[in-house]
Amino acid sequence: MHETSIINSVARTLEMEFGEERIHSLERIFLKVGILSNIEPRLLMNAFEAFQQTYPTFSKVSLEIESTPLVIHCAECDVDSEVQNYRFVCKSCGQPSKNVIQGEEMLIHKVEFNDE
Amino acid sequence: MMSVEKSSKAARGNVQCENTNIHLLKANDYVAEIIRSKMKETSTLLINVTSSAGSGKTTLMQKTAQRLKDKLKLAVMVGDLETERDADRIRQTGIFALQIVTGGICHLEAQMVHQILDQFDLENLDLLFIENVGNLVCPSSFDLGEDYRVTLMATTEGDDKPKKYPKMFLTSDLMLVSKADLLPYLPFSVEAVVKDAREINHELEVIQLSSLNEEGIDEWCEWLLAKVQEKKST
Repeated sequence: MHETSIINSVARTLEMEFGEERIHSLERIFLKVGILSNIEPRLLMNAFEAFQQTYPTFSKVSLEIESTPLVIHCAECDVDSEVQNYRFVCKSCGQPSKNVIQGEEMLIHKVEFNDE
Repeated sequence: MMSVEKSSKAARGNVQCENTNIHLLKANDYVAEIIRSKMKETSTLLINVTSSAGSGKTTLMQKTAQRLKDKLKLAVMVGDLETERDADRIRQTGIFALQIVTGGICHLEAQMVHQILDQFDLENLDLLFIENVGNLVCPSSFDLGEDYRVTLMATTEGDDKPKKYPKMFLTSDLMLVSKADLLPYLPFSVEAVVKDAREINHELEVIQLSSLNEEGIDEWCEWLLAKVQEKKST
């Protein structure tokens, strides 16, 4: 259910941004999803395939999903740490931080058109 | 706000590439901001109540209504996949409540909240609760324009939940350890659940409560009253 509504949202957003006409020459969509986004790439891919069968405009479009790890920034040390086991602490000073700089994103990162 | 930076990169053959970096939930966040500014105009505190199914959200809404309805004007909108049952239960306490039936959708989106917002008399409302769909996963991604997100964590769910559903606890302001009256009968450690939750979000406030024997209800109501006061003075 969730994945389906996300794919719908991607299609709607792209139509809004580029206009329905341009969507016909769309070739590739690149998504960037953080591990905290609650989006599972494999399931999203399945949802996209189902979507393509209903919406022929997207039938030849390919979808690439990049999953990004969780990174926090410590303001004290000015150091970025990758979060392990959901312990949100700075690797340098050990202080907690909830300043997430990567891993929450749900982005349409890039799109490619084949304009003939 | 709706504008997006687009930089056209050099064409590779006849392939045109555009860097977009558009947030997938941009449409949702746009509506959430509209809700936020409306609530600011009327100084109405908006609280998004989330949790798993069956952790006691509706019972807490009933108890809160009974305690606070003479002290302030409050109302509830409640989301479920089907039925009007929760809104009925809340209305029995004498406050205004509306049901959002999502028809299978596992979370509330800002658009759904915005659609029924006009049916609430916001000018004369100090506090509006949004009781979200019972689910610790999807609701965490959707901003509803709330001032605070409050997550119930029932003792019957087991004390290992925060690390399993980290985003919900990262985005919450207050965790209510609910059904505390059952603690003597359950292998549940409040200390362990608070430790795990605070490893995710060190700013998370915690109140242990029971809607049945009323433990912690005073503290919860005082928290709410303080936040209502804060909202009015800004």
